[in-house]
Amino acid sequence: MRRALRGVSASRGIALGRARVLQPRALSVEETRITADQVPAELARLHAALDATRAELNALRERLHGALAQEVGEFIDLHAMILDDPELLQGLDDLVRTGRYGADFALKLQRDRLASVFEGMDDDYFRSRLEDLDHVVGRVHAALHRRGDDGIEGLAGEILVCETVAPAELAAWHARGVVGVATRAGSPLSHSAILARSLHLPLLVNVAELLAHANDGDALMLDASHGELVLEPGADDLRRYHARRDQIGRERAELARLRREPTRTRDGVDIRLYANAESREDVAEAHGLGADGVGLYRTEFLFLQRAGLPTEDEQFLAYRDLVLGMAGRVATIRTLDLGADKADRTGLALRSEPNPALGLRGVRLSLAHPDLFLTQLRAILRASAYGPVRILVPMVSSREEMLRVCGLLDTARAQLRHEGRQVGPVAELGAMIEVPAAALGLGDIVDLVDFVSVGTNDLVQYLLATDRNHEALAELYTPRHPAVLRLLGELFAFGRRNGIPVAVCGEMAGEAANAPLLLALGLRDFSLHPSTLLEVRKAIRELDLASLRRRAATLLRCHDRDAIERWLERC
Amino acid sequence: MLERELRVSNKLGLHARAAAKLVQLLSGFKSQATLLGRGREVNAKSIMGVLLLAAPPGATLVMRVDGDDEAEALSAAAALFERGFDEDG
Repeated sequence: MRRALRGVSASRGIALGRARVLQPRALSVEETRITADQVPAELARLHAALDATRAELNALRERLHGALAQEVGEFIDLHAMILDDPELLQGLDDLVRTGRYGADFALKLQRDRLASVFEGMDDDYFRSRLEDLDHVVGRVHAALHRRGDDGIEGLAGEILVCETVAPAELAAWHARGVVGVATRAGSPLSHSAILARSLHLPLLVNVAELLAHANDGDALMLDASHGELVLEPGADDLRRYHARRDQIGRERAELARLRREPTRTRDGVDIRLYANAESREDVAEAHGLGADGVGLYRTEFLFLQRAGLPTEDEQFLAYRDLVLGMAGRVATIRTLDLGADKADRTGLALRSEPNPALGLRGVRLSLAHPDLFLTQLRAILRASAYGPVRILVPMVSSREEMLRVCGLLDTARAQLRHEGRQVGPVAELGAMIEVPAAALGLGDIVDLVDFVSVGTNDLVQYLLATDRNHEALAELYTPRHPAVLRLLGELFAFGRRNGIPVAVCGEMAGEAANAPLLLALGLRDFSLHPSTLLEVRKAIRELDLASLRRRAATLLRCHDRDAIERWLERC
Repeated sequence: MLERELRVSNKLGLHARAAAKLVQLLSGFKSQATLLGRGREVNAKSIMGVLLLAAPPGATLVMRVDGDDEAEALSAAAALFERGFDEDG
């Protein structure tokens, strides 16, 4: 009989599938004893399972990149740390060796010992870390019982129904063809929800009575967009499902067709779309989507999550891979952009700062460590022997800084020439325009740069004096502010008059809805994450540049956000 | 053996992210490290141990470090506490 359950949408989408109900794991492991001669084999089995779990978490970590790596990565790191926790591991071998317990039961004893303390805690947040412990122990248990293949049969085409889901499980299920997930608990703010959205996997959470009503094998329709899970859907539900699928299919097919199409406005003007990238996957994706090059290659990852600083050769190899990956299209490499908030583990930032957004960061940090900066510039110049390269300097606020950068770049070139190393013909220098002073004073550095790229994320933050991560200020932080648009318009006009290419590499450029604004103001070079490239290309192909340019004057006369939104509605 | 009083100065207390930073930092040292507070004594190199303290913002804990590199380990940990675990900005 049809029954509809309500839940909270954590990742939109619609799916139809067979239910697979996973009852909560209570870790009901029976006490098993082993004999003395079984001990070596049991220890080997235990450590193989621990290694396998470690490898699983690492593999999952590597599949993540971009913003996702930051968010979900921390969660996975936490699980990896729990797996290596001395409180869990020490004594485990002893329980097998001297206690003669089977590996499963030894693990359960250790888990229970830790859990008993957590269960007695009076703070929800800390008590719920027990969930993390159980996710980790559950994975090791699964690994202990895996024979040959991974033991989880045919999840393809199924909708998983469970208590909660960990990000690592979600990724594995998605890879096995699960079409949707519904959980009794959970939150749209969880790491799993973020991951589900990036995987385009429908996820409905907080579905009351879920486990009481759903049975293995039931037909389910999960309409996560509308917060509904339908058990044994009827004819109307199926019609709704097919209509939505058709619509989603048409939209995806239309976008896929645009892979090989030019980014050309309706009136025939070509616009350049560059990719923001920080991983090999991003670079490959950018190439596959027909990006005009890489407009922003972040180099921070080379410096973080490691002990010590990367050598010139390490950096050179990473940059060379990027240049080769772009196959002749330009690769824009941003020099180190760290501040006190992120640089602690590199040992570069000496102490915490009361106001890191206004502190020793970007080019200021690089110029405070000229040896380090010179090493990076040398590595980039060496990579330029393999294809066209542009060097982008972040957080520039004065001519003096650019002069010092030019000086170091000259030194790097001279050193390399002296050493007989090859440097490519194209290694242009550019400044990132994020500080209002650099935006207003572009004329003061124009003779020193070959191009500029506007980092709107920080420019908006500094111009509006609004922390973009401040929850209470979310309404204030927007690029759709008259002062932001006027400043951008002036930057683009200045670039045109002086023959200096001006790109925008902030998130503003990656939102298709902003394309009319940016084109009207005169932007021709967009730099955005590959995941939104096709949407922006689609938007640009539907716009008429000449008519947008004619309406620019009206846009620049807008006095508030409402007026800007109304201008956009008429596009 | 060295001992020092440390104050949890970040907004959220010793929650998962801050605890992970502390454990990662201490794991780089050879010395044994213990945190005492709220009636408990836990291994400061254990993520579950540190989480067990459930130390709220403003709590005062005692860190005890014992080993060859105890001075370096303690001053690095103290610095992390003083920086509020590099949060807030």
